[in-house]
Amino acid sequence: MFKNLVPRATSRSFLRPLGRANNTFRASPSSFYIVDRSQLRRGYATEAEEKDLVIIGGGVAGYVAAIKAGQEGLKVACIEKRGALGGTCLNVGCIPSKSLLNNSHLYHQILHDTKNRGIDVGEVKLNLEQMMKAKDTSVAGLTKGVEFLFKKNNVEYIKGTGAFADEHTIAVNLVDGGETTVRGKNIIIATGSEATPFPGLTIDEKKVITSTGAIALKTVPKKMVVIGGGIIGLEMASVWCRLGADVTIVEFLGQIGGPGMDAEISKNMQKILTKQGLKFKLNTKVTKGEDSGEDVKIHVEAAKGGKEETLDADVVLVAIGRRPYTAGLGLENIGLETDERGRLVIDQEYRTKLPHIRVIGDCTFGPMLAHKAEEEAVAAIEFITKNYGHVNYNAIPSVMYTHPEVAWVGQNEAELKAAGIKYKVGSFPFTANSRAKTNLDTDGMVKFLADAETDRILGIHIIGANAGEMIAEGVLALEYGASTEDVGRTSHAHPTLAEAFKEAAMATYGKAIHY
Amino acid sequence: MPALSPTMTEGNIASWKVKEGDSFSAGDVLLEIETDKASMDVEAQDDGIVAKIIQNDGAKGVKVGSRIGVLAESGDDLSSLEIPPEEESSTPAKPARTDRPSPQSELSSGLDKTESSPSAAEAPPSSKPNADADAGGAADTASAKRSGADESSASKSSGGRAHKQKYPLYPSVEHLLHENGLSEADADKIPASGPNGRLLKGDVLAYMGRIERNYSAEQSKRITSMGHLDLSNIKLAAPRKAEPKATRQAVQEAPMAEPDLEVAMPVSFAAVIANQKRIQDTLGIFLPISTFIARASELANDDLPKSKTAKPTSEELFNAVLGLDKVSSKVARGHFVPQNTSIPSASLSANLSTSAKKSSSSKSDIIDLLTSKRPTSPKASKAMFVPGGAADATNVFSVSVPKGDAKRAQVFLERIKRVLEADPGRLVL
Repeated sequence: MFKNLVPRATSRSFLRPLGRANNTFRASPSSFYIVDRSQLRRGYATEAEEKDLVIIGGGVAGYVAAIKAGQEGLKVACIEKRGALGGTCLNVGCIPSKSLLNNSHLYHQILHDTKNRGIDVGEVKLNLEQMMKAKDTSVAGLTKGVEFLFKKNNVEYIKGTGAFADEHTIAVNLVDGGETTVRGKNIIIATGSEATPFPGLTIDEKKVITSTGAIALKTVPKKMVVIGGGIIGLEMASVWCRLGADVTIVEFLGQIGGPGMDAEISKNMQKILTKQGLKFKLNTKVTKGEDSGEDVKIHVEAAKGGKEETLDADVVLVAIGRRPYTAGLGLENIGLETDERGRLVIDQEYRTKLPHIRVIGDCTFGPMLAHKAEEEAVAAIEFITKNYGHVNYNAIPSVMYTHPEVAWVGQNEAELKAAGIKYKVGSFPFTANSRAKTNLDTDGMVKFLADAETDRILGIHIIGANAGEMIAEGVLALEYGASTEDVGRTSHAHPTLAEAFKEAAMATYGKAIHY
Repeated sequence: MPALSPTMTEGNIASWKVKEGDSFSAGDVLLEIETDKASMDVEAQDDGIVAKIIQNDGAKGVKVGSRIGVLAESGDDLSSLEIPPEEESSTPAKPARTDRPSPQSELSSGLDKTESSPSAAEAPPSSKPNADADAGGAADTASAKRSGADESSASKSSGGRAHKQKYPLYPSVEHLLHENGLSEADADKIPASGPNGRLLKGDVLAYMGRIERNYSAEQSKRITSMGHLDLSNIKLAAPRKAEPKATRQAVQEAPMAEPDLEVAMPVSFAAVIANQKRIQDTLGIFLPISTFIARASELANDDLPKSKTAKPTSEELFNAVLGLDKVSSKVARGHFVPQNTSIPSASLSANLSTSAKKSSSSKSDIIDLLTSKRPTSPKASKAMFVPGGAADATNVFSVSVPKGDAKRAQVFLERIKRVLEADPGRLVL
């Protein structure tokens, strides 16, 4: 068999022109030409052809960059080790959690909120296995969809773990066994983030879980403790509380929702969630966790010192934040630097100190949000192909998908005070909104923060059933530098929840009509 | 003299920061102007040359709109420039502070256009008259001209420039204009500080003097700066701490990446070098040995026995279920890259080759090129192919493989050996 191949090789004339088209990866006579040319670069330890762009990581940052690059006509390869595209977001983050949030909300509503709406329901039973299956179906459909988009846009998908061999070469340990190398003129690092573990607790994703385990529990826990009252913690707490768990949230700060959430909004939200059955321990520090026994014991004390307490739980969710994930990437081989928190150091165009290597998404600076990563992915490709890209970091929304949802964009009151900016506030409650009234779902409010002098919108904060959708209008307003008057003078359909948005704007520069 | 504030009617030249004949680039401070309230720097909006300074340092009470100097485009020949006469206009505030008299455009179009249509100041840079206004300096010029035109005092804004509003006006802006008896055409005269030069409510308020004139522009500047990633004060991780951690995790993450078995085989280059020489003699082309090796390994990688570490693909599992596994292929393409180490024989030529190696490794790349040295790894850096000399040396090819792949590597090396020793000429011809 081997001998038969030799004649084929003889046809490979050395004198063939260099520009010969060759799009099969690996089986490539063209690699010889690279070898010949690359002697100026010293060494030929590669057998792969050179790509215009190699992306490490097929999460939201990586796959969007890959598709965009394919659309721009670059020869691009994307390396992903998970075995499915979409990264944390699609596989174990945003997407599966939204499936559970939506379905657990339905369950909870059927259980508690049908009688007064005139719907008599018989026995309601939870089938957790089926709920998880529904989630998995959604996830599988979406990741396969991304794979299809790769094919459509000529992106080569390499399933494996990539590590820098040198500044242009990435050695890939293939998932299916074996190794390969791939060279890139440009390289984008988009390796994302991982949950920060809590010192002293061993994460087994069964008793001590991160968000990954929280979307895959086999049974509803009786008692659940959530360490960290940020967005991830509150969403997962909501899911399991609705399904019947007794959930306590321990938060070190004095407010839930993380430091970005407006204090007034946070306080309101805490009231609403408490009504739904969640228990909160704010200003509370977890001192120790014991996970050796059947149950997990969590020792807590007041953050400023003081009374101690021990919480028992069959499941503990660690949701104290995420940290950049660059382990095994071989950064030390090419001398790339990270900062104290493990973020890869970049400039405004996402370049590292090796300008052909760029970094986007969670493993570098900025908020760890999928849509932020997506924006950066497009901008990074545009920097490569057009020398200019744009992300407006002042107009990136945050959304918490509890019920009601919380969403905001721009600055909050505390930030404006700290910056010494005079601002005015206008708000409108959903209790005064006709659509919310008919929905019997009136929790929440819309709140505008605008400059006291120019009326320019500086921040928008919403609690409401559809806050996550509604914030899009706010982001647009911010992107265009609009004033609250601009929003207030724009027609919003009646009867919609969006009218509350308009009325809150009116309340900022003048007076709301319906409140 | 540009109007630096809505109420300014005259100003003093504190000092010029440039001399006649100086060239400047956008953003450079041209001069400092004093009013009864404050002193302010005037920045260049575009690159250019100072053609003439008319009002010198210390000039007092210069009326807004009167000419204080002339700027030319970079590259203009100052000696051949005609400076257009200062227009006498009925309006008290004379617009042209800085006309750029370019031989083609001066008088005929330049001045007229810049003055009659303020919007031109912002139009595409390709058109000459606009370049005038731009070179002339910033918002100041533009607003100064405008102030002349509509007799109301224009406002100076450091962030925004007035220009034609191409988009529909924001509802708030439209309202303010109408409420205050301004037409929509007036919108084009208001310095706009919004994204992409859009006119904001704050800009109109500032223009009308309802709020401090600079406020809107300053705010825009602040908000624009918030739009960028804050990359100041990056504290780098201590390299000591970071490195061992990273490598330790690397080992945990990817134990497969660490090769644990090395398979080696000696290969003679005699045939290769003979072929190389023959090709050079007959065709006049020098083919580096690396070319032979690369092509040989390309061939040898074809259809290797399957790796034991490889997981079966879904197709193979399916075939196995159907009982087709017997007929399905038992081979897979390899990805081996051989490492070559030359062991010099104890002869004089070997000594020569070692010395050649030493000199080449410290010298320029041209020798590497000639000798096809491949110093990609410490191990590989020992590998030297010296034509002639290396023929006597024994070359050992080796590949590092995970356990279980040794057989595969063995087959690969045997093939490489066979091709290189038997008939290497067929690899390249």
